Amino acid sequence: MIRKVISKASVILRAIFLISAFLIIIIGGFTYKHISNLTNSTKLVVGTYKVNMELEQVLSYLKDAENGYRNYILTKDTTYLEPYLTAREKVNASFAQLRVSADNNVAQKENLKVLSKYIDALFDNFTKSNALVETNQTLSEAFKSTFFEEKIIMDSITKKIGDMIALENRQLEQRKAQNQSNLKFTPLFLYLMLLFTLFLIVVSYHKISNDLKKIKGINNELLIFKEATVQLETIGKHGNWIWHIDTNIYTFSDNLYRVLGEKPGAFPASHENFLEFVHPEDRKKVVKDNQSMIKNQDLPFIYYRIIQKNGTVKHIKAYGKLLVGNDDEKRIIGNITDISDEIENFSALEERNLELERNNKELSEFNYVASHDLQEPLRKIQTFISRLQDKESKNFSPTGLQYLERINVAATRMRLLIDDLLQFSRTNKPDKEFVPTNLNTLFEQVKQDLAETILATKASITHENLPTLAVIPFQIHQLFLNLLSNSLKYSKKLEVPKIHLAYSKVAATTDANLAKATQKWYHKITFTDNGIGFDPQYASLIFELFSRLHNKQEYSGTGVGLSICKKITDNHQGFIVAQGKPNVGSVFTVYLPEAG
Amino acid sequence: MPNDYIHIILADDDEDDRLFFVDAFEELNMNTKVNTYNDGIELMAYLNSEGALLPQVLFLDLNMPKKNGIECLNEIKANHKLSDIAIAIYSTSASEEDIEETFVLGANIYIKKPSSFDDLKKVLSEVVSINWQYHTNGLNKDNFLLRM
Repeated sequence: MIRKVISKASVILRAIFLISAFLIIIIGGFTYKHISNLTNSTKLVVGTYKVNMELEQVLSYLKDAENGYRNYILTKDTTYLEPYLTAREKVNASFAQLRVSADNNVAQKENLKVLSKYIDALFDNFTKSNALVETNQTLSEAFKSTFFEEKIIMDSITKKIGDMIALENRQLEQRKAQNQSNLKFTPLFLYLMLLFTLFLIVVSYHKISNDLKKIKGINNELLIFKEATVQLETIGKHGNWIWHIDTNIYTFSDNLYRVLGEKPGAFPASHENFLEFVHPEDRKKVVKDNQSMIKNQDLPFIYYRIIQKNGTVKHIKAYGKLLVGNDDEKRIIGNITDISDEIENFSALEERNLELERNNKELSEFNYVASHDLQEPLRKIQTFISRLQDKESKNFSPTGLQYLERINVAATRMRLLIDDLLQFSRTNKPDKEFVPTNLNTLFEQVKQDLAETILATKASITHENLPTLAVIPFQIHQLFLNLLSNSLKYSKKLEVPKIHLAYSKVAATTDANLAKATQKWYHKITFTDNGIGFDPQYASLIFELFSRLHNKQEYSGTGVGLSICKKITDNHQGFIVAQGKPNVGSVFTVYLPEAG
Repeated sequence: MPNDYIHIILADDDEDDRLFFVDAFEELNMNTKVNTYNDGIELMAYLNSEGALLPQVLFLDLNMPKKNGIECLNEIKANHKLSDIAIAIYSTSASEEDIEETFVLGANIYIKKPSSFDDLKKVLSEVVSINWQYHTNGLNKDNFLLRM
């Protein structure tokens, strides 16, 4: 985000700068042109005035010469000839000036030539009349005509000079008008350009100050982030390092030193110094991983140990990644984490798990072997009892025979217990294979198994259509067998047993018995009987191993059967719940998860 | 057939069980001749000896020292001279694994030692009266274990 803000701002600012610079150059050019125009027109004005002045001068010299000459004719005093004698020279000097001024002006040049001819004629005339004065012919006809000619020439000169001044003034007016239009337009244009440039500068100022504000905000966020990172490092036992690839300079965060068991900045940050802390057995691996980091400019997760100066060994998890910043500098940013606690906890847990597994296995093996091996002597006791009862009964007193019978009952009960225990331990065995099984078929098999009892009790057994589920078949067989034989066993003596199996699919959220459910849907199979029932306060006790609710003289049972049922539903991630009412009946509900 | 009696052999390391076995046949009075051996090694030594009289039915305990019932079963089935003997497994336990293994190895019936003498007599008389030809043809995993 920071990068984007900065790069966008720099593009805009660069554009504004270029436009402003371009505008200023244009303004400069126009100003220069304008000023040189002004200078030119001043020059023109000055030139015109100079020419006009010079022309007036020439006229006045000529008039002075004429006057002086006339005075001389009247008085014969030669001092009056003074202006006449110098006039020629002065007129020539003025002409030189005029020629320079009129260098670029064709019309004026032509005029000057004409004027020069007139002046030459005037002076020729002077010379002619002077000769007549010298010879005292002033009253002659020739003098009179010369005198008149002089007047005509003089009038022509005056007129010519008047014309020339008028032309000069006209030309001046023309140029002035021309310049005026230029000059009128330029200042307004320049003023507008300047205003626009000023506007651009204001815009860029606004933009720069805005960006600055943004960057300040970002800087502040960065500061907060940095502080949070430092806190995180301390709590999480992380250490951070940066490797500046181009300059090969390393920086370590304060907490990296702490992870190594050192004070921040205790040694210069470098690869070699860090390696000294790495466990000697892991050093080769770390060096290799770091070399691949240099080559690939990336470091995957690696694990190694370090040894702090005080000898404590710590487990480290490390990770690094290449980062190219706004400044295009390449850095690898890396993290190390002290995971010693995790590893310790994990290995402790693993050990405990193994121990538990071992214990469990031993227990189930013990259970199996014990019940299996106990069968053999018991079978012999029973066989010997039956031998005594068959062959030796005549040698026993009635009391002895009664004792023998009691021994037989006890031994039979012990056999029952051992059989059930064996069954229970078999349910614990881990070889569980889930096979899609039609529960209707399974239940029919169970009914077959109990056919004799069913026939004897005349029990009515009904069931709704059951689903096909992926289950451990022999275990569900056992479950059905135990529940059904349970219902048959605890039936009322004077009533025909009625047992019904109901099936439905329920959502875990809608059934109060499924508070601990892990799945969404469950198959619910309910065994309802009209037997002797039980006190509801024993509903959960009923599933505990060896727990019995009824007198064993009245009802034979070991208290293992329902524990096996519980175990089987556990194995299937299901649940079993018992409800009962004395003398009304019992309801056993089995829940099996949909995705068995 | 040269002899009109039924020749039966039992291999069992348990003295009491051998006693019950012999007593039961005595009381059954079925014209049987019963030989017993104390373990697998004795049994195999007899069967492999020259001129041994092979039994019609061999009762084989599984859990015996030195050479157990499974090993004997293996050897008998591998030997074409002995492989036709009808073999009844005669064991204290009836674990799924044992039943499965002996069935696969070719035993003909599995008997769980009963816990009363009357039951024992019933079981033995039934086994001896089986028509092995007929029984073996219809043999499957479900009727392999003898249920009373």
